Amino acid sequence: MTNLKVPFVNLASAYKNDAHAISIAIEEIGNSGQYILGSKVKTFEEEFATYIGTKYAVGVANGSDALFLIMKALGIGPGDEVITQPNSFIASAWTIVATGATPIFCEVDETLGMDPEHLSKLITPRTKAVMPVHLTGNPVKIDVIQELLAGTGIEIIEDAAQSVGAKFNGQRVGSFGIAAMFSLHPLKNLGVIGDGGVVTTNSDKMYNKLLRLRNHGLIDRDHCEIWGYNSRLDELQAAVASIRLSKLDTNTARVRKIAKKYSTELEGLVITPKSYGGSDPVFHNYIIHTEYRDALQSYLHAVGVDTKIHYPVPIHLQECAKHLGYKVGSFPICEYQSTNSVSLPIYPELSDKQVETVIAEIKNFFKTVP
Amino acid sequence: MSKNFLLSQYENDKKFSVQHNYLEQQFSDKDIILEKIKEVVTRGDFTLGREVDKLEEAFAQLVGAKHAIGVGSGTDAIFLSLRALDLQLGDEVITTSFTFYATIGAIVTAGGTPVFCDVEEDFNISIAGIKKLITDKTKAIVPVHWTGRPCEMNEMMEISEEFGIPIIEDACHSILAEYHGRRTGTFGITGCFSFHPLKNLNIWGDGGIITTNSDEMNAKIRLLRNHGLTDRDHCEIFGYNSRLDTIQAVVANHLLGKIHSITDARIDHANYLDRGLSEVPGIRIPHRVDTIKEVFHIYSFMAENRDALGLFLRENGIDAKIHYPIPMHLQPAAQYLNYKKGDFPMAENAANRTISLPVHEFVELKDLDFMISKVKEFYSDDKP
Repeated sequence: MTNLKVPFVNLASAYKNDAHAISIAIEEIGNSGQYILGSKVKTFEEEFATYIGTKYAVGVANGSDALFLIMKALGIGPGDEVITQPNSFIASAWTIVATGATPIFCEVDETLGMDPEHLSKLITPRTKAVMPVHLTGNPVKIDVIQELLAGTGIEIIEDAAQSVGAKFNGQRVGSFGIAAMFSLHPLKNLGVIGDGGVVTTNSDKMYNKLLRLRNHGLIDRDHCEIWGYNSRLDELQAAVASIRLSKLDTNTARVRKIAKKYSTELEGLVITPKSYGGSDPVFHNYIIHTEYRDALQSYLHAVGVDTKIHYPVPIHLQECAKHLGYKVGSFPICEYQSTNSVSLPIYPELSDKQVETVIAEIKNFFKTVP
Repeated sequence: MSKNFLLSQYENDKKFSVQHNYLEQQFSDKDIILEKIKEVVTRGDFTLGREVDKLEEAFAQLVGAKHAIGVGSGTDAIFLSLRALDLQLGDEVITTSFTFYATIGAIVTAGGTPVFCDVEEDFNISIAGIKKLITDKTKAIVPVHWTGRPCEMNEMMEISEEFGIPIIEDACHSILAEYHGRRTGTFGITGCFSFHPLKNLNIWGDGGIITTNSDEMNAKIRLLRNHGLTDRDHCEIFGYNSRLDTIQAVVANHLLGKIHSITDARIDHANYLDRGLSEVPGIRIPHRVDTIKEVFHIYSFMAENRDALGLFLRENGIDAKIHYPIPMHLQPAAQYLNYKKGDFPMAENAANRTISLPVHEFVELKDLDFMISKVKEFYSDDKP
């Protein structure tokens, strides 16, 4: 869609800014001969751990693998239950299935995060971990969840795929549970130019296990301690991640400014994003809710404003989840959100003029509804 | 306290005058590739984009298969093939003990129990051995075309047909290798290739590709590699995330144009070493057969006093490697399978006695002569 006044993403302009640095990085990788898990990955891991405020960070092939490997490191498998949210991206569920465990879905609340009250009813002797999702970069009620699980032995794995930089009570998400997963997918706030992911953890045991699991279970070139996986962050992508991490706070500030503007102008017309007290979201997506969602989306599309829906079919109603026994009505709030939500364009490169256009067109649309 | 052992390995590798690693030379002309990457990124085409489509088409044609599917790595190629066969927990998968860890990791990750088989003189899985290992639980056989030398595929396919057990070819070493004129990766239900940076066809990170003649496997693997999604909003089966990066496909497409010359160079270098080393006492070169085409991802041979030879060669600046010193059934990871030393004498002998020399396309004639002379020197009586 080249005639769009406001495209949903603009990855090309982000790349143009970084092209020179990326070219130098590729040259360095070629010259060093460090093609897999070399110094670029090491540097990024150190920078990222420092940024999040954890002892360790471990680069892996993608965000999904990050979740999968954390669960494997915890020994989660057949017969175990892991609780996650039905309004997330599908990977939040399939990674659980891939370990052999059963995904259990929990209702969400106005933050789009896990509803702690519903969570408390889902815990069984088989529950091994809870995976709250900081969806759109909006922190879940992590303190309540922590309190609920304290002393139970059930681990918290933060699905922080969309929330690099987000904080709760001044502490960055990704540092609250036993481990957290971040995605470096190109569309993420900290995105690379292909697939990539990273795990953060304060646990020495988790860290050491992940180092083996991501690289064939090897303790050195000739000794395989456990049958592992191949899930490594490419050197090239690690170099891009480092370049972009240095610009992340500036970009986040810009995105927050856009979100504030949207909220100020649109509150009352639509339901704007709601955050939990003490949290500081990073707006990977800016999701509004309105009963006129479909009409609004068509209108905006017609006037050149691209929007998306994250996501129109919740996981528990997907074909792949049929055998899990959920049905329409299992999660009323989640289902309400999936039929009423729409995501507005939000990224650092979005100009003030484009933001004004989005707001003006939404206001124009609502003049036409009763 | 990083336990990433690869970092020290890289530093060590750089010290040799005849290196195993050739990335510096190979990517001296990276600007052409960078320009293309720029195009891809400007389009916002990061995952499973047009360059991946283009590579898949070209690769299928190159190998002679109906379909090719780009995935995250060679390991994932084997894993996804087994998942597409709906392997159930406890199903048995017969494979060779003389391979790289990934073959086994993929089987175990897919839920299978690896059943190890011994090798023959050519270091490849023993056909007679396979037959004895087949049970009701056997769901697949994963032969490895080790070093780029094809397995006995006629006999392998006879077993497959007789017992109705699918073959998944681990062809990570064997791009363009041929068995009776037919390329590896076209015999089994799938062929699994790796684009790891030191493979014959390599990229700048991890990547792999699956070949298949089966429409069903093709459709299923395409779903599995991308979260089980039929489109952005619909998930048909719980899948995985294992995609070849678009920018890595750019690199692969670039090198695909050179794969014949890369392969020919490796074969020439191997032949040269064969001639130079065949008469050396203490060395046994694998018997070469003219019904197969080996592509020498690894050039290895049996050597008496192997470890001392390796040390001597490395002291002389030659990056001689061992691929690999401990067979899979004797790895700590295999303990639960209850194998023991002596179970697979041929594999154990190969692990104890083989050594590998660099034969990649950037090895020069003088390097080959140097390697031959140093090996000869080691076995001569007047060694210093």
